[in-house]
Amino acid sequence: MIAMQANKWPVLLALVALFSACGGEQPQQDQLQVDNGQDSALVADRMKKTKNIFYNIPSPMETASLLKKAGADYNGKILNDVKNVDKYTAASKQALNLGIYGADLSYASVFNHTQESMFYTSCSKKLADRLGVSTAFNDSTLEAMERSQNDRDALLDIISETYWNVDGYLKENGRDNISALMIAGGWVEGLYIATQVAKTNDSPELRQRIAEQKYSLTDLIGLIASYEVDEPALNGVKADLEALSALYADVATATGGESTVTQEGGVTVVGGPAGAATLTDTQLSAIRDKAAAIRNTYIN
Amino acid sequence: MRNVRTSILHAVLSGAFILAGTAATAQCRAFAKNKCVPELAPYKFNESFNAAQLAPGEEAEVNLTFYSGQEYRVMVCSHPILGEVNWKLVDANNKVIFESLADEPKHHFDLKAASTTQMRVVVWVPTKGKSDMVHVGCVAILVGFKD
Repeated sequence: MIAMQANKWPVLLALVALFSACGGEQPQQDQLQVDNGQDSALVADRMKKTKNIFYNIPSPMETASLLKKAGADYNGKILNDVKNVDKYTAASKQALNLGIYGADLSYASVFNHTQESMFYTSCSKKLADRLGVSTAFNDSTLEAMERSQNDRDALLDIISETYWNVDGYLKENGRDNISALMIAGGWVEGLYIATQVAKTNDSPELRQRIAEQKYSLTDLIGLIASYEVDEPALNGVKADLEALSALYADVATATGGESTVTQEGGVTVVGGPAGAATLTDTQLSAIRDKAAAIRNTYIN
Repeated sequence: MRNVRTSILHAVLSGAFILAGTAATAQCRAFAKNKCVPELAPYKFNESFNAAQLAPGEEAEVNLTFYSGQEYRVMVCSHPILGEVNWKLVDANNKVIFESLADEPKHHFDLKAASTTQMRVVVWVPTKGKSDMVHVGCVAILVGFKD
């Protein structure tokens, strides 16, 4: 027992160091609307309307994995500064930046930058605490990540599970609006990273993946629009996404033609419409600038 | 006085409604986490939790984007109280790519996307003859991808 406690000291010291890297505690200065039964008719109506329709937005981990496969490089300089974490006193900013730091964490982890991963984990944990989600993201999660620093797959699994726990906890507690802001923040950061990396690491594959975000952007707008509450933070994010959507309007994606199903070496291969999504220099530049502008309003 | 009682009753019923909804969602997530997500292996769960409490005759659907060159597992998982459900994967033209019927269920479909495409998973719970008991159970639509 004493030996077990002694073995915990390096982990505890590491946790203290991580928290120091992300600044001190700040009081939460505003609250987002929480469904706690005051307007059950609204909740019932939303549940009835959206109960059976889901919006599948690529997770930060999936996006980072796609970027890596597209040949993207790692560039830690473009990520949100860990020192910014204490600036976020408004709940809406905390939710957006929980998504942003979560995306940075996924990007660093997928590209095997363990030290940065731990810093972004610490920032995410702080924001989760301030949003009252510590049940889903607790100290044992941090300890498990510390122990898995040298095992990339295990680390990615813990990050995935934590993201899922936080999202699930928010939804189970009538805080879907915070979950939606977190998802939106993560998606915007993923697009920001991809378009920034394309500055120095441009390739047809990377452009294709950026162009294909047109699909998930439509789903994300659908998700945000499903919240029929008049909430400035959600309305603002929806307007931001619609501005991006306008830039995507002329982006060519594969259309027409029937899907094909073939077997190749025991694997079912599904072919969609012919052709790949493409992005011109002008389109890429416009989307990059808009993504950066939106993201800067979220992180500052 | 009567108005006050009615208001209290409404408040209690509203609270009960919210609590029941929250508990059901939590149970659904726990079911998906413990029973369904492990069956995605060796694919990595995409962290998107698409699940709902469904009753016989009800439907659920989700749009999915499959990226070219990626391998995926699409899985539909239903709570035993509900029994097997019907589900299908259809493309943008409503062409059925895969279908699983309750009397011959297949719980997952593995595919490789040759080109990036959007498809839709549609789940519907079969009705089982005449019965006074209406079972409501969790149905989860999950996606895994190969890292």
